[in-house]
Amino acid sequence: MELTGLFFYIVSLLILGGIYALLCLALNVQWGMGGLFNAGIAGFYGVGAYTSAILTTAASGRHLGGFSMPVPMGLVGAAIVAGVTGWAVARICVRLKSDYLAMASIGIAEILRLVFVNESWLTNGSLGVSRIPRPFADFTTGRMSDVAFLGFVWVIVLLVYVATTRLYDSPWGRSLRAIRDNETSASAAGKNVEKFRVQTFVIGCAVMGIAGGLSAHYFRFLSPTATDPLLTTFLVWVMLMAGGSGNNRGAILGALSIWTIWSVTEIFTNRLPPEWATRSSFIRMLLVGLLLQVVLQRFRAGLLPEKSPPVRFRKD
Amino acid sequence: MKKLTTLAAAALMLGTSSLAYAETKIGILMDITGPIANFIPPLQNAANLAVKHVNDQGGLLGGEVVAVYGDTTGTAQGAVDAAQKLVNIENVPIVMGSLMSGTTIAAAEAAIIPAGVAQISPTATSPAMTDLQDDGLVFRIVPSDNYQGEILAKMVLDEGLNKVAVTYVNNDYGVGIGQTFMEAYKAAGGEIVAENKHEEKKDSYRSELASLAKGDADALVVIAYAGDSGGKIVRQSIEGGLFDKFVGTDGLRDELLIQNVGADALKTSFFSSPTSPAENPAQKTLHDAFNAEYGEGADKAFVDQTYDATFLALLAVEKAGSTDRAKMADALREVAMAPGEKVGPGEWAKAVALIKEGKDIDYDGASGSAEFDENGDVGGFIGKFVVDGDGYKQIAIVE
Repeated sequence: MELTGLFFYIVSLLILGGIYALLCLALNVQWGMGGLFNAGIAGFYGVGAYTSAILTTAASGRHLGGFSMPVPMGLVGAAIVAGVTGWAVARICVRLKSDYLAMASIGIAEILRLVFVNESWLTNGSLGVSRIPRPFADFTTGRMSDVAFLGFVWVIVLLVYVATTRLYDSPWGRSLRAIRDNETSASAAGKNVEKFRVQTFVIGCAVMGIAGGLSAHYFRFLSPTATDPLLTTFLVWVMLMAGGSGNNRGAILGALSIWTIWSVTEIFTNRLPPEWATRSSFIRMLLVGLLLQVVLQRFRAGLLPEKSPPVRFRKD
Repeated sequence: MKKLTTLAAAALMLGTSSLAYAETKIGILMDITGPIANFIPPLQNAANLAVKHVNDQGGLLGGEVVAVYGDTTGTAQGAVDAAQKLVNIENVPIVMGSLMSGTTIAAAEAAIIPAGVAQISPTATSPAMTDLQDDGLVFRIVPSDNYQGEILAKMVLDEGLNKVAVTYVNNDYGVGIGQTFMEAYKAAGGEIVAENKHEEKKDSYRSELASLAKGDADALVVIAYAGDSGGKIVRQSIEGGLFDKFVGTDGLRDELLIQNVGADALKTSFFSSPTSPAENPAQKTLHDAFNAEYGEGADKAFVDQTYDATFLALLAVEKAGSTDRAKMADALREVAMAPGEKVGPGEWAKAVALIKEGKDIDYDGASGSAEFDENGDVGGFIGKFVVDGDGYKQIAIVE
């Protein structure tokens, strides 16, 4: 192992870690703050990914567009389309009690996945969208473009972190937590529960869309294999639970630590004796699963538990 | 718990790396877990067999060769992550894999091409592979779906079938071949009376078949896997008396199909499949070696391609004479392409001797002769197969 290799591996780890951090922050708005059980992350992630890919690629006969727009425009588009999709879904499902919302959102993610696979005029179906540009593509080549992309991803993570932290501390965020903890009393205090929930859902979905767009630009190629629920829905839930639901720093920490464990375990399982080689990938899944069981059983509040924002009074 | 696992793993890592001196690693990227997990065990055996042949016959660059596996989990995220580990942590000079087009392209675009590493896929058939901006680094040893689709159209028309119904499985394999087939078939004057894209893993395809049978077609073209939807479609159309003549591709050309519906029912059907020119002793050599080592499984799908791609990757490293990444793509072209002294599966010692003498070699494998064009694609030969007893017989080759 040489040092440059290690450096670029860490870069790639942090890029995907950053994308997961965005997904976790988004889920934290929906679940940690709003108590909405969204189990359809993959769907909104996919909507964002395809939107950004279609907006930024060069014109192609294989799918809708490309519109050759700059990458930031693609990401804005991803947030808008994923947000609007989230709004439509929220209008229908958000009144459902938590576990029913989970079922409904799994179903919606599956519907969206089938749309990606089948509507080939839109997405080129299972053959996928290729030649998706990266930001700063003109200034960097080869592996250096990963480094530039790393910066790009983490600037967005930082912006979303600042925004969600402000939201958490705002009157809006406090009302949301009141609704999460006791819906009836919040509604008795005059809060419009449904409106708050729809807003929460839309904000979360828009950020998930941005995360999807970023992965499309990172992979430079997008096909339905990128919207696998194991890696885009359930892993994100585990990350948020491990990091600390309700805590934005916990969300980022959970994303980074779980992704690192997920990725690094393969380096070790690859060093098992050869007769285990064919099984090592499955052993790795087993180890990761065990580890997560321990985390969920022993550290239920997560690495960084939720801390309620302080109550401040204006001093005259 | 976490500490313990890490410690145990670290101990393992130290244990093996102290044993290994002068070992060369090559990267093998496969979709080990995930949607095509059931295809993988014989393919891992095929790759391991190539590595074993090398180690039994003197090794690579004078030392042991170790295959390092990366598991894509069948997803783009997993593919990129596994490929980053292969090129950065394991520091491999060349990567064999992966199998699905989606994971192959994502790994190539995000990790392998930027690192300047050569990649050779045994089975990725997506047309999008042809025009990757890959600096000549990405190769594959199966023809693009475009190619097989066009040849299939020609084959069907030559058979005198001017009206067909088409059904294809909704994944990159089925859609790729299905759409090029239909375009080429219509362009050449054929008529498609009904077409249908179906999902895998259903129990009944009778409603799809009912609408396909309406147009009074001469035959049903089935582009799907025998172990899944393809086999069921053929069986259910025979049971329902809807079609009696089928045209299939390599996915359907499987002994399993004959076992399921019987050779009699397939008398008038034919199949297209990538093949090697005329008599190919290399395939028999490989299958004998494979079954001697693992007992069975040599006839499983993509075993030939996986062995060939691994063996070619190893030959390229030997030819380059070092693990210098910059030399791999050129070395791969030199060992794979004519002219040169012919080398077949398992003939590692012979190949090394020839390389040492400074002679050019040309590997002709079990799956074909691997002559790359400027895009790293192979044209290859498509064979026409019919059922013969419990197996298939090649009756013609179309180039």
